[in-house]
Amino acid sequence: MESWIVKNLWLIPALPLLAAGLSALLPRPFRKASATLAIGSMSGAFLLSVVAFVHALKNSGPDSAKEFFNFAWLQFASGDVGVLKLGWVLDPLTAVMLVMVTFVGTLIFIYSVGYMAHDENFTRFFTFLSLFAAAMLGIVIANNLLLLFMSWELVGLASYLLIGFWYHKPSAAAAAKKAFITTRIGDVFFLLGIVWLYHETGTLLFYDNGNGCLEQTALSKMVTHATVGGLAVSAAIGILIFIGAIGKSGQFPLHVWLPDAMEGPTPVSALIHAATMVAAGVFLVARTYPLFEVTLPGLAGDSAATVSTALQVVTWIGAITAFFAATIAVAQNDIKRILAYSTCSQLGYMMIGLGTGGVAVGMFHLITHAFFKALLFMGAGSVIHGCHDEQDIRKMGGIRNYMPATFLTYAVGMMALSGFPLFFSGFWSKDAILHAAHSWSVSHIPFYLGVAGAFLTAFYMTRQMALVFWGKYRGHERPAVATKTPQLLALKEEIEPHESPRVMTVPLILLAICTVGLSLIGTPAWPWFQDFLGSHHSEGFTKDTVQIIMISGLVFLLGVGLGVGFYGYVKRKTASEPDPLERLPLGMHTWFAKKYGIDELYELTVIRFNAWAARACAFLDEWVWGGVVAIVSYVTLAFAWLNRAIDEFVINLGFDRGCERVSRGGSLLSRLQEGRVQVYLRVLGGALVVLVLFLIWGGASERDADSNIAHVVADSRWHRRGWISESTTRATSCDSFQFSVARAGVGIMEIVRCIQRCAAICGARGLDSGVRRAVFPRSGRAGAVDGFAYEHSCAAGAFGFGKII
Amino acid sequence: MNYLELLTVAAPETIVVLTALAVLAVDLTSMRDVETRIRMIVGGLVASAGCAGGILWLLVNATTVDALNGMLVMNPVTQIVKICLLGLTIFTVLISLEAKFTNHVGEFLALLLLATAGMMFLVSAEDLLMIFIALEVTSLSLYILTAFNKRNIKSAEAALKYFLFGGMAAAFMLFGLSLIYGLTGATNLHAVAAALAGKGLDPLLLVAMVMTVMGFGFKVAAVPFHLWAPDAYEGAPTQSAAFIASGSKLASFFIFAKVMMIGFAGVEGSGAFRDFMVGWTPVLAVLAALSMLLGNLVAIVQSSVKRLLAYSAIAHAGYMLLGVLAHDKQAVVSVIYYAATYALATIGAFGVVSLVEEQTGSDRLSSFAGFCKRAPMAAFAMMIFLLSLAGIPPLAGFFGKFYLFAVALKSGAPQLGLLWLLILAIAMSAVSFYYYLKVLKAVYVQPEPAEQSRASVPQATQVILLVLAVVIIVLGCFPNLLVGPLEHALTPVSH
Repeated sequence: MESWIVKNLWLIPALPLLAAGLSALLPRPFRKASATLAIGSMSGAFLLSVVAFVHALKNSGPDSAKEFFNFAWLQFASGDVGVLKLGWVLDPLTAVMLVMVTFVGTLIFIYSVGYMAHDENFTRFFTFLSLFAAAMLGIVIANNLLLLFMSWELVGLASYLLIGFWYHKPSAAAAAKKAFITTRIGDVFFLLGIVWLYHETGTLLFYDNGNGCLEQTALSKMVTHATVGGLAVSAAIGILIFIGAIGKSGQFPLHVWLPDAMEGPTPVSALIHAATMVAAGVFLVARTYPLFEVTLPGLAGDSAATVSTALQVVTWIGAITAFFAATIAVAQNDIKRILAYSTCSQLGYMMIGLGTGGVAVGMFHLITHAFFKALLFMGAGSVIHGCHDEQDIRKMGGIRNYMPATFLTYAVGMMALSGFPLFFSGFWSKDAILHAAHSWSVSHIPFYLGVAGAFLTAFYMTRQMALVFWGKYRGHERPAVATKTPQLLALKEEIEPHESPRVMTVPLILLAICTVGLSLIGTPAWPWFQDFLGSHHSEGFTKDTVQIIMISGLVFLLGVGLGVGFYGYVKRKTASEPDPLERLPLGMHTWFAKKYGIDELYELTVIRFNAWAARACAFLDEWVWGGVVAIVSYVTLAFAWLNRAIDEFVINLGFDRGCERVSRGGSLLSRLQEGRVQVYLRVLGGALVVLVLFLIWGGASERDADSNIAHVVADSRWHRRGWISESTTRATSCDSFQFSVARAGVGIMEIVRCIQRCAAICGARGLDSGVRRAVFPRSGRAGAVDGFAYEHSCAAGAFGFGKII
Repeated sequence: MNYLELLTVAAPETIVVLTALAVLAVDLTSMRDVETRIRMIVGGLVASAGCAGGILWLLVNATTVDALNGMLVMNPVTQIVKICLLGLTIFTVLISLEAKFTNHVGEFLALLLLATAGMMFLVSAEDLLMIFIALEVTSLSLYILTAFNKRNIKSAEAALKYFLFGGMAAAFMLFGLSLIYGLTGATNLHAVAAALAGKGLDPLLLVAMVMTVMGFGFKVAAVPFHLWAPDAYEGAPTQSAAFIASGSKLASFFIFAKVMMIGFAGVEGSGAFRDFMVGWTPVLAVLAALSMLLGNLVAIVQSSVKRLLAYSAIAHAGYMLLGVLAHDKQAVVSVIYYAATYALATIGAFGVVSLVEEQTGSDRLSSFAGFCKRAPMAAFAMMIFLLSLAGIPPLAGFFGKFYLFAVALKSGAPQLGLLWLLILAIAMSAVSFYYYLKVLKAVYVQPEPAEQSRASVPQATQVILLVLAVVIIVLGCFPNLLVGPLEHALTPVSH
């Protein structure tokens, strides 16, 4: 029933994982091998993804079931409840993401060969990159929230490793830590959500023939339960999961790590912090969408109530981020930071899309954004590479003459991001979001914020284009170009920007083509993408649609026009000129440039508190808990020494005198460093006595509680046997019991004494005569001794037993 | 049932015995003048092939037979345990390939195989007499294996102690078994249980129970019947010690659990804290607590690694007794899983110790200094073994402890009666980290003393150790490989 590709979907992440493992083992000089491995595995994953995509395409339809493959991973208790199952799922959402991640990934891998050509840790870079790809693909295929979470954390780890790839730069190391810790805050809530979900539904599988946590039974159970403040349990879990997405996708207020993450190599920024990982948050919401979406069926009359609280939260956070990040991007000067804030903003759009329009709307923007933002980042990388690692756009200018291929592709990306009407994919996907926001029943404010954000997007992208590609190159102000000595000419040659190698520009061109081409599949006229992903039915070009198209077209023109007005006509001469926006009232530009001081706010509140708490904990740990631990360890050590002392000196030596008689007979014993075997045997006998007395004492103490022993005592059988014959005259049944216990004790002691005597005889005689000779020169005649010991011990046992009776 | 049928039922044991004879014959007839190393390799291969044959037979011919009223019982559970035993024997043979302590290759391997055969009979016995005989067959071979390094006086001393202690314990046990027979008139475990049912606890039964426990307590080295273990492990040739600590332990624990759970069903009593009831569980609870305490604490101050492993074996016996205490189906699964994974890690650890001994001539902690430079693969394997013994996820030892503790906790539900033992066990596991890490510190951190040049480490043994380490990792990551079949095997017949 299950097709081959569904069963073997795991191969897709396994290929890059294998590449990561192999290239981790490669020594540094094997640069080509590691690059080949990484690119080869990624291309393989791409081909498999295409197979999966085609399969999903064939299978898609309005009533198609989800295809998944689950297997038992761990049995932690008996029965079906105790089985932890993992699995993967192949549905249109997975298929689309797989193709996007592997395709963009392959291109970025190829691009990295050029970008990282001069880095000495080339192999390490590709190891981490492959590890990241594996984890990301794991997120995409997971059919279990736990598997998704594992991959999610791995992705975070890979991101940390790659941001801090140039760990010798303090800023990179700090940025890596910041990214890891900030996303971790979201992850804690995500984990809480997972645990709660498991508590509610008893499974973490998404789809499991009706038993999954995203299927009707579980959902309808969760939505009817209410928790704090009347919030449905499903919505509360959804919000917890969404906080994880906030962290990963750089949404307000956990967006602070994303701009700093630009310290990593640019291919990393393109792959992880633009196209894939940051989109994982959006993907997570899309994957668990049934949980977000579900509402009580009874409230259909009230329009606001049909939108679940979780989706409202998603929409508002997205809208705030979309607008707010765009305002910051306006006043930044680092080419990558502008793009980073733009990424935050665009992710906000995706969240609006998910919150107001559904999976298809948000995911369409995710896919188109992945392509054009990767394109922009790689273009920026190409620019940086060409300008000798300069990232300040004020020190660039006129680069279109030096780097034509980069310029053209960058322009395509910029058009798509700003929303150039009709021809670019970004326009259509953003348009769909604005359209959905416009028809949202709860509030219109997200729509207005989105439109304002779109305007700002067009504006800051125009600003960036103008400063980077137009005007004159401002990078070589320092040397005086007037005196044309040969050395200075050579220097000029060196400091002028140059076009990047083919290995970097070809991926750019391919991505540019896709950016334009993707616009064909999601227009209102032919919403193939939306149909493929779900039940979304667009009504074609209606009056409403055209109206929104007009609005976004106007907004685009306004933004570009203002940008050209500010930065295109008035050309910047030097790098240090003030920005025209600084004339804005109320010191707004300062606010934008300083990112509203959110970093500082966190510095003053969260981080300072955290540092204080850390110091307090360190103090507690060192002095209070450390002291306790030290005391415990000393006590343990003391016990150990005491134990050893008892073992060596009391047990072994304490019986010395009793053994002297025996030791006369055996010179062997003098050669024993420690541990005399007679003592061992004595302990054996002693243990018997102690254990039996222990049991009888236990029985006696619960005699009142109607135990079996009491019956035994009352049983005349024992009287007949004469076990307590001497005492029957003067003992009540209680006394007689104690007396019999004493007798039993004496009898057992008798046995032990006999055994001891026997052992002594055995030891002495054996050592004197046969054993020493038998054991030392040639071993192997132990059998004779065995019989000897048996004979004696059995005799002793019989004797003791007789005494009892 | 005629003899031919009986032989078919006992085919794996027969194969092992025949292999023992074959090894002896090959070695004594045609290889007298050959170099010891070659003889060891040839003999080892024959022995391993025999064991592998036994495993194959068990895998192919899964039968459920009860021959001669409980004398020889074949069922899926004994089948799995036997496969584990044969596997452990193969590993013991493989780490002995480079051994130099003896010239009597054939005898050594034959005794190993005979001991294995004894353990296999032990595992399938459900009759007191047969249990005793199988136990003795095993023990006698082990005594001789302990004494096998005839050039070393400590080996002879260890064997003598082991033998005397073992003989005495066996005498007690036989005494106990005869009392049971006297009380019930039966030797079959089920019949014993049936006869005991409803009779209540008379003092004679208590004595018999304690004596039986003593016999098994000796085999599994539980305090206070552990006294032989440190001396025997230290003095015995390392490969023999590995075998005593692994295969013998697994078989003994299995039969221990069987006798207690089947034979003494109905007189369990309770070892719950403040809810004490007379029976065999309180006795085992005392032994478990003592073993965990003494084993772990004394191990801390050892400077000989073999002695350290001996005390660690005592401590692990304490943990496993927890599983026997729980006495239900899950408990059997957890005890077998724990014993098997523990045995694997212990064989490996002893294998590494034997390498170090060959190189430096001693098993002191100080001889391990800088071992990671001399033999990186073996050092890595040692890390896996010791961390598995300590119970670090994702190694097999962790899941073993996890199952065991979970089962023990559940058995006392809802009052959590065994909680006091569990708390002790967890605290003592924490203590055990200290001495395991002490060995690892010597291996990885301490610099190699600049002395004479060391003999080279045999690559083949290193590879075998690495394979063992991989097995432990795999069993830790996929515990279902062993737990699944065991659960399955125990499902139809629940004792």
